[in-house]
Amino acid sequence: MSNQALEVFMPISIMMGIAVLLFIGALLAAKFLSPFKPNKNKNMPYECGEEPVGTAWSMFNVRFYVVGLIFIIFDVESVLMFPVAVIFKKMVSLGLGSYVLIIFLSFVFILISGIAYCWKKGDLDWVKSYTKTSIRDAE
Amino acid sequence: MYYWILFLTSALLTIGSSVLMLWTKNLIHSCIFLLGSLIGIAGLYLSLGADFVAVTQIMVYVGGIVILMLFAMMLTGGKDFVSKRQKILDLIPLMGNKKSLIWASLVAFVFLLSQALLLMKIFSSVKVLDEVSAYSPSVEKIGELLITSHELAFELSSVLLLGALVGAAIIARPKKGRGN
Amino acid sequence: MENTIGGFFLKFDFIKNAIASGSSAIGFDLTMLFYIMMFLVGAVAITALLATVGGLGTYAERKISADIQARIGPNRVGPFGILQFLADGIKMMTKEDIMPSGADKFLFYLAPFLCIFGVFSTFAVIPFSEGLQLTNLDIGIFYLIAIASLVGVGIFLGGYASNSKWSLLGGMRGAAQIISYEIPVTISIMSIVLLSGTLSFTEVINMQSGFPHNWFIFHNPFTFIGFFVLFIAGLAETNRAPFDLPEAESELVSGYHTEYTGIRFGLFALAEYIEIFVVSGVSVSLFLGGYNLPGHFLHGTLGAQPLQFAIFMGKTFFLYYVVIWIRWTFPRLRADHLMTICWKYLTPIAIFNLIGCAFWMVLFNGKSFYDLLMH
Repeated sequence: MSNQALEVFMPISIMMGIAVLLFIGALLAAKFLSPFKPNKNKNMPYECGEEPVGTAWSMFNVRFYVVGLIFIIFDVESVLMFPVAVIFKKMVSLGLGSYVLIIFLSFVFILISGIAYCWKKGDLDWVKSYTKTSIRDAE
Repeated sequence: MYYWILFLTSALLTIGSSVLMLWTKNLIHSCIFLLGSLIGIAGLYLSLGADFVAVTQIMVYVGGIVILMLFAMMLTGGKDFVSKRQKILDLIPLMGNKKSLIWASLVAFVFLLSQALLLMKIFSSVKVLDEVSAYSPSVEKIGELLITSHELAFELSSVLLLGALVGAAIIARPKKGRGN
Repeated sequence: MENTIGGFFLKFDFIKNAIASGSSAIGFDLTMLFYIMMFLVGAVAITALLATVGGLGTYAERKISADIQARIGPNRVGPFGILQFLADGIKMMTKEDIMPSGADKFLFYLAPFLCIFGVFSTFAVIPFSEGLQLTNLDIGIFYLIAIASLVGVGIFLGGYASNSKWSLLGGMRGAAQIISYEIPVTISIMSIVLLSGTLSFTEVINMQSGFPHNWFIFHNPFTFIGFFVLFIAGLAETNRAPFDLPEAESELVSGYHTEYTGIRFGLFALAEYIEIFVVSGVSVSLFLGGYNLPGHFLHGTLGAQPLQFAIFMGKTFFLYYVVIWIRWTFPRLRADHLMTICWKYLTPIAIFNLIGCAFWMVLFNGKSFYDLLMH
C-alpha cells in the first residue's frame, strides 16, 4: 500500500523535523556553554523582591472561558464556510451565483444573530457590570 | 515510502500520547498528551488523503478545544492538579475502584463481542484494497457536496452552533443579585 | 509533485537531462532522490534565512526605535552595529538556564518548543517566489492559519509552567488574545478565498499581477478594509505592541516568559520575530501581489526567481518596518480594550467585508474595481 502523491506533504514533515532538531540543538549547545549553579535565591519565582506565598495556580474569572467558547463556535463556523468560499467563484461562473449567495448568507446570518445576542446581553464585555462572586476570584 | 513514515509516526504519536494521557496523574499534563494525540489523528487523516479534514482537525481541536480545556481547568482551580492516591489499583493506568473496574470489563466484553459478530459479517464479504487511492485535493469536492446534496445539513449545523453559542453564554452568565 | 520546489526545477531541460543521464548511469530512478534533496536544501536554506531574519529583526527594531526616539542605537559591534544580533545570541547561549522551584518541568521544556514548532511549520508553504516555494499545497492558506494556532498553546503553557502569578496572568491573557484575534484573521482571509476560489498561495498570487491596480487590496472597497483588518489582527496575534499586554514590561514584568532565561527565552523571542515575518508575508501574498514582477516579466524562467524573491522580501520587509514603527508610536492597550476591539469592532467589520465581497462577486462577476472603470 502506498500513496505516491502524498509526497507533496513531505516538506511539512521536514520543517517540523528541523524545528525539533533546532530545539534540541539549542538546548544541547546551552548545556555545554552555560554554567549550572542552582541556588535557592535564584530559583525563587520572581515577585519584585518579595517571597512568593503559596502556589501561583488560583481560580480564574469565567470570562476567559466565555471567550474560549465563543472562539470555538466561530472557528467551527469559519471551517464550515471555507469549502463554500472555495467553490463560490466556480459557481458564479456557472451562473448559480445567487443560489450560493443565499446559502452562504443564511449561514452567516444565523451566526450573526448569535453574536448580536451575546453582545446585547453583555457577554462580550471583559469587565462585567456586575461582578460574579466566587470563593477565590483572582484577576 | 513517505506514506509509511507518515502513518507510523502518526499512529505511534496517537497511541503513545493516549496511553500517557491515561497514565499520568497530573491533569494539565494529561491535557497536553491529548494535544499530542489529536495531532497524531490529524496525521492519520492526512495519510488517508483527507487533507482538508486533517487541517480542520488541527485548527479546531488543537487550536481551540485544547486551549478551551486548559481554560476550564484553570477556571475550576484546585490546590495542585495532581491526584495523590497511591493504592495498588492506582498504579495500573485505569481510573476507579474495584467495582467500577469489574463493571467496565463486563461492559467492554459485551460490547466487543457484539461488535466482533457484526464486523465479521461485514469483513467476510468485502475485498481488502491493495492500494490506497491516490491523493487529490478534496476541498472543492467537499464544497460542492455541501452546496448541493448536504445543503440542509449545512444550514442545520449553523443552527446547532447558534444553540451552542447561546447556551454557553447563558450558562456562563453571572447570577444577578449575588452582591458586588 | 509538480507543485513543489523540485517540480519547478524539473521543468527546465538541463536539469531533466542531467537526471536522466544520472539515472541511466547508476541504474535506478533518481527523480525521487532529486525531490528529497531539493526539499532538504530548501528547508535548510529557509532555516538559515529565518535565523537571520529573526536576528536582524531584533537589530532592526533597536535601530528603528532609536531613530524614532532620536538616539543612535547599537553601533559598536561590526559596521553600524549590524553584528549585534550575533553578540546577543552568543550572550543568550552562555547564560545560565534557571528553572524556578516548583515549576512544572515537562511543560517548562515544552512551551518554547511548541512556539518554535508552530512557527517553523508554516514556512513550508510561504511563497518566496514562483519556484522557491517548498510546496504549493492546495490547502496552503488554511494549513498556515491552523498551524499558527499552536503558538497560543505554547504561550499558555509558558505562563502556566513558571509557577509565578505574573507569568500565569500573562499566559492566560496571551492565550485569550491569540484565540480571539484568530477570528478576524480567518474571516479576512476567507474574503480573499471567496474572490479567488482557491486555497493555494500560488493561485492567489497568480490572480494578481505586478502592477498595483491588480492587487487584491484594490479589488473592491471591502478588500481594502479587509487588508487593514488582517494586518491589525495579525499584529495582535503575534503579541506585538500595541497589543503586547501578555508580555508587557511595565505591568507584568515580561509576562509569560518572565522565568525563562538563556536560550529558552531566546527561542521565545525568535519565534515572535519570525511570526511577524509570517504575518507580513501572508498579508503581502494575499493582498499586495506577492512576488509578481510587473507585467509578468520573465514568467516561468529560472532567471526571474531571484527578482521575484527580491520583490517578495522587499514588500515583506516594508510591512515589517511598519510593524516596528507601530510599536514605538502607539501606547499599549488595556486588557478590556483589547477584547473589545476584537469582538466588537474587528469581527463585525470582517464579517461585513465577507458579506460585501460575496455580494460583489455575484453582482459584478468577480471583476475588480479597476476593470469596471476601464470597461
